[in-house]
Amino acid sequence: MTQTGIPPESEIRALVGHEFPGGDYTIAHWENFLLTECTGAEPLPDDLAHPVALFHMPILGARTSIGEMFALGQAESDFSIGIESYDWEIHRPLREELTYKVTGRITESDRRQDSTRTYDRIQFQFDLHDPDGTHAARTTITWTYGRSSK
Amino acid sequence: MKVAVGDEIPEWDMPSVRPERMRTMAAILRDPNPVHWDRRVPAKLGYGDHTINQGPLGLSYMVNMLHAWTGPTSIRRIVMRFPMAVLDGDHIIARGRVTAIREHAGERLADCDIWLHRPGTENPLEGTATVVIGD
Repeated sequence: MTQTGIPPESEIRALVGHEFPGGDYTIAHWENFLLTECTGAEPLPDDLAHPVALFHMPILGARTSIGEMFALGQAESDFSIGIESYDWEIHRPLREELTYKVTGRITESDRRQDSTRTYDRIQFQFDLHDPDGTHAARTTITWTYGRSSK
Repeated sequence: MKVAVGDEIPEWDMPSVRPERMRTMAAILRDPNPVHWDRRVPAKLGYGDHTINQGPLGLSYMVNMLHAWTGPTSIRRIVMRFPMAVLDGDHIIARGRVTAIREHAGERLADCDIWLHRPGTENPLEGTATVVIGD
């Protein structure tokens, strides 16, 4: 991915309110097993899914991708992305083989400058609901998109 | 369980962050960023001969610490910032401390500061967590 030049600030600000298509996501047993192994933990009991799934599951369930999220912010390259924060609110423990309804949107997007650099800051928010409609979790991803020239 | 403000959370140790776990993670996440699986790329960025751990994996070490302390359904919120990269081969220790105890919606909660400690450097990850601590 290569984006030359800095996008107009108006295009960055206009991202607020962008909605992803949304959809469903089911954490498969194999997926939870491998993810949990990646964290260095043993599998959890009672079909519980490891919360580390709260990164990719909302993204894929909302029918977007890491690549699309980079592209929406017109990232200069994969390496220009920084993580400001991840915020995971868990109202119900996640479980394997349960189908969650996922929605996602951009809630904040603006240009910032500090003493060393110019960057765009984009915040993505995703909501997960159980099959019975209960709000199971909300995740908020805040990334920075570094701009190398101005 | 007995918990008081100022209590240290029992630490959780990752003796060596493993690159093959980053590769598995990248495949499941559909993460196209080569800094997680091609050492040549982070080398050009000044990280030496190491791949860069995914942010959620660093966060997961905190989750594992909290699960070991208060159980696998106890986490209500976790907020994490990422001041520095975690690299393959790093020795990482998840640590935390209770900052407040409160009641909310019929649950007894502990608010905590949590962080990843890497010997010899600043903390690569820092944040807060809220967990249920029962009666």
